[in-house]
Amino acid sequence: MTDSTSSSVFSLASGLFRRTWNDVLSVYYANTPIWRVLKSVGLLFFGFFCWSSANLLLSYRPSWSFLYFVMAYGFALIVWGPLTHFVLLPWVIRLRRTSNHPLTRTIARKGSMLNLSIFLTIVLVLGMAPVSPMLLDFGTLVDDGTGSPDVDPDLECTVVDELVECSLSDPSGIDHVVVTSGQKRIKTVEESPYDFEIRRSDLETVVGQKQFTVELRNEDGDTLRRYKRTVPADGE
Amino acid sequence: MLDLFDNEYGPDGFRTCSVTGLRIHRSAENPTKLFALTAIVALLVGGIFAFTVAMTRWELVGLLEAGDFYTHLSMHAWNLLIFWMIFMEIAVLYVGGPMVLGRRLSIPTLAKVGWGTMVLGAVAVNYGIWKTSAPNEAPLLTAYVPNPSEPLFYAGVIVFLLGATIAALPFFATLWVEKRENAGQTLPLVTFAAFTTAVIAVEAILGGLAAFSYAFLWRMEIIASVDAAIYRQLYWIAGHGTQQINLVAMIAVWYFLTHVVGGAEVVSEKVSRTAFILYLFFINLGAAHHLLSDPAVSTGWRIFNTSYAFYGATFASLIHAFAIPAGIEAGRRRRGLGGGLFGWLTGAPWLNPMFSATIFSIILFGFLGGITGVIMGQLQLNMTWHNTLATVGHFHATVVLGTTVAFMGLTYFAIRTLFMRQFISPKLASIQPYLYSGAMAIATLMLMYVGILYGVPRRTTEVVENIPGTEFSLSAAGPLFSVFGVFALLAIAGGVLFLVLAVGSVLFGKRIEPGDNDDITPDGGLAADGGESVHHYEMRGTFVLCLVFLTAFVITYLLNWYLLSQLWKIGI
Repeated sequence: MTDSTSSSVFSLASGLFRRTWNDVLSVYYANTPIWRVLKSVGLLFFGFFCWSSANLLLSYRPSWSFLYFVMAYGFALIVWGPLTHFVLLPWVIRLRRTSNHPLTRTIARKGSMLNLSIFLTIVLVLGMAPVSPMLLDFGTLVDDGTGSPDVDPDLECTVVDELVECSLSDPSGIDHVVVTSGQKRIKTVEESPYDFEIRRSDLETVVGQKQFTVELRNEDGDTLRRYKRTVPADGE
Repeated sequence: MLDLFDNEYGPDGFRTCSVTGLRIHRSAENPTKLFALTAIVALLVGGIFAFTVAMTRWELVGLLEAGDFYTHLSMHAWNLLIFWMIFMEIAVLYVGGPMVLGRRLSIPTLAKVGWGTMVLGAVAVNYGIWKTSAPNEAPLLTAYVPNPSEPLFYAGVIVFLLGATIAALPFFATLWVEKRENAGQTLPLVTFAAFTTAVIAVEAILGGLAAFSYAFLWRMEIIASVDAAIYRQLYWIAGHGTQQINLVAMIAVWYFLTHVVGGAEVVSEKVSRTAFILYLFFINLGAAHHLLSDPAVSTGWRIFNTSYAFYGATFASLIHAFAIPAGIEAGRRRRGLGGGLFGWLTGAPWLNPMFSATIFSIILFGFLGGITGVIMGQLQLNMTWHNTLATVGHFHATVVLGTTVAFMGLTYFAIRTLFMRQFISPKLASIQPYLYSGAMAIATLMLMYVGILYGVPRRTTEVVENIPGTEFSLSAAGPLFSVFGVFALLAIAGGVLFLVLAVGSVLFGKRIEPGDNDDITPDGGLAADGGESVHHYEMRGTFVLCLVFLTAFVITYLLNWYLLSQLWKIGI
C-alpha cells in the first residue's frame, strides 16, 4: 500500500468519524420540543431494554459481573434520559444565553459534561452496589416448600350403568371437591380421598353429551384445579 | 341527524376536498362516516372492558372474580379486535376505493344493508357473550370447539361476517366499474392497498363462515361432532386473517396519511406494490403460528408455514418499513424541508395528531410488534412465548399500538375533512397520541416482560399471586405488574380522551368553512412544485433509522435464541 493510499484511507476514516461525532453532538444538543420527546422516549425504552435484558442474562450467567453495569446503566437511564433531554439540557442551553454570574456561566459551559459525569457516577455506584429495586428477582419461580403444594391429581371417571364413579389419584392439598353440571351443584365432597358417585340422570346435556365439572378447592374456597368431563347421554 | 351527514355537494353530488384535492361523492362519504362512527361505539364498549381487565391483571386492585374475568376479556377482545377494527376497515375501503378514485360508490344500498347486518351481528355477539352461563363458556377470541359457547354467539358471528361481505361488495363493484372504464390503467397505490386488504378480508371471511357455521351446526346439535383439529385450522383462517386485514389496512392508512398530512411521496410504486402482493401470497400462512404447539399438525407443515412462508410476509413489512419513512424524507427534502440528518423528521408537523399518530403507529408497530411477531412466529422461539402474557404484549403492540393508533389518526382526519368539524380542543388533540401511545407502549412492554422473563400465563385470572394449587410463585413479577398497572390506567385515560375528543368534536365542534383546513395540509403543498425527481434526494436519515431498527432486531433475536438455548438446564 502506498503512502498516498493509506493517507486517503486515514482521511476518509477520520472524516467519517468527525461527521458521525458531529451528528451525534447535534442530536444530543437538539432542543426543539419534538427532539426532546423523541430522545427522551427513545432513551426510556432503551433503558428498559438494557435493565431487563441484563437482569435476565445475569440470572443465567451470574459470573458475568459486567452485566451489573449494563443493568445500572439501563436502570438509571429510565429516569436520567428524560430528565436530561426534557429538563437539564434545555435549562443549560437557556443558561448559555442568559447567564451573567461567573458561576452560572461555568455551569452553562460545563453543564453537559457535569450532567454526564453525574450520570456515569450513578451508573458506577449502582453497578458496584446494586439496590434492590434494580434487581429483578428470578429466584422464586419454584417455591421453597413453605407455600401451597402442587395440586394436580388425575381424575379418573368410569360409567357403570346409571352411575358415574370418580376418584382422584392424590388427595393431598385439597379441602373439598365441588361437582356441578350446568348451573346446578350436584355434590360437595368433604372427606378425603374425595371419591364420589353421581347419577347420569342428574347431569345436564350439552350438545348431545352429559357434562359435569369437578372443582378441587382449598379451605378458603379458592379453586385449585378444574376438570370438565363428558359421558354419553344414552348410556352406551 | 344533527347535520352529521351534511356537506355542500355540487349538483352531480361531488365536492372537492380542500386538503387532499380528492373529488368526493356523497354516496361514498356518508357510509364512510356511518361505519367510522359505529367503530367508535365499539371502541367505547371495548375500552370499558379494557379497564376491568387491566385492573384484574393488576392484582393490587384485583377487580374481577375468576368467573367474570373471562366474560369481560371476551367482551374486550371481540369489541376491539373485531368490531372496532372491521367497521373502521370498511370505512378505509370506501376511502381507498371510491374517494381516492374520485367515483361514486357503486350499489350504495348494499353499504347500508351491510352496515345493518354487521350491527345486528355485533349486538348478538355482545349479548351472547354477556349472557354466557354454564354449561357455555365465554369464547374469548379462541372459540374452540368442543368447548360450547352460547348459540347466539355463533349465530352473531356468522351474521356479522355476512354483513362485512355485503358491505365490501360496493367497494369491489366500484373497482370493477373503474377497471372497465379505464382498462389498462393501474390503480393508485392506496386503492391497490385497499384492494389487497379486501382480498385478504374475503379469505378471512370465507374461513370464518366455514369455521363458525361448522361450530353453530354442532352447537345446535344438527351435526353430532366436530373434528377439533380441522376446526382449529379453519378457525385460524378467520382468527388470524382478521388481524391481517388490520395490518394491511393500517399500512394503507400509513401511505395515505403520511402523504396527505406529511407530504410523503412514494419512492417506488413498484416495490411498494410488490410488498402488498407478498402479503397476498404469504400472510395467511403466517396464521399457522397459532398452531405451533398443536399436536395435530406435522412438524414439516409448521416449519414451512412459520419459516419459509412467514418470511415472505416479513420481507413485505420490511419493505414498507423502509418505503414509508423514505417517502417522508424524500418528499420533505424535495420541498426544502430536510436540513441535516433528521431535519426532515423533526421539522415535520408533530402537533398535528394525524401525523404524530401515524408516525407513532409506524415506530411502535415496527419495534414492538414486528420484531416480536417474527420471534414468536418461529417454531422454536415460540416455545418460550406461547400462552404467556408476552403473546398478549405482542398483539397489543400490533393491533393497539399499530392499527388502533393509525385508525385514531384517520379518525382525526375524518373529523376535519369528512365531518368538517374543528376539534373541541386542538391542544388536547395534539397531546392525545403522545399520551395514549407512550402509556400503552410501556404497558405493552411490561406485558412482554412478565411473559418472557417470568412465564406469567395469559389466560388465568391469577397472575402474580400464586396460581392456586401450584408450586410456582410468580410474586417476583410484582414490580413489573405495578409499572403495568399505572401505565395501563394512563393509556385508558388516553383512550377516554380520544373518545371525548372524537365524539365531542363531531357533535359540538365548530363547523369548518372553506379554507379553514389549511393548517393540516403539508408544508409546501400536497404536490411538491418543481424540484428534481424524488430519487435525487438523499435518504440517509431513513438509512440510519433502518440501521437502528436492524440492530434492535438482531439483539432481540439473539437474546431470545440465547434464552432458548438455556432451557435444557430446567430440572438440573
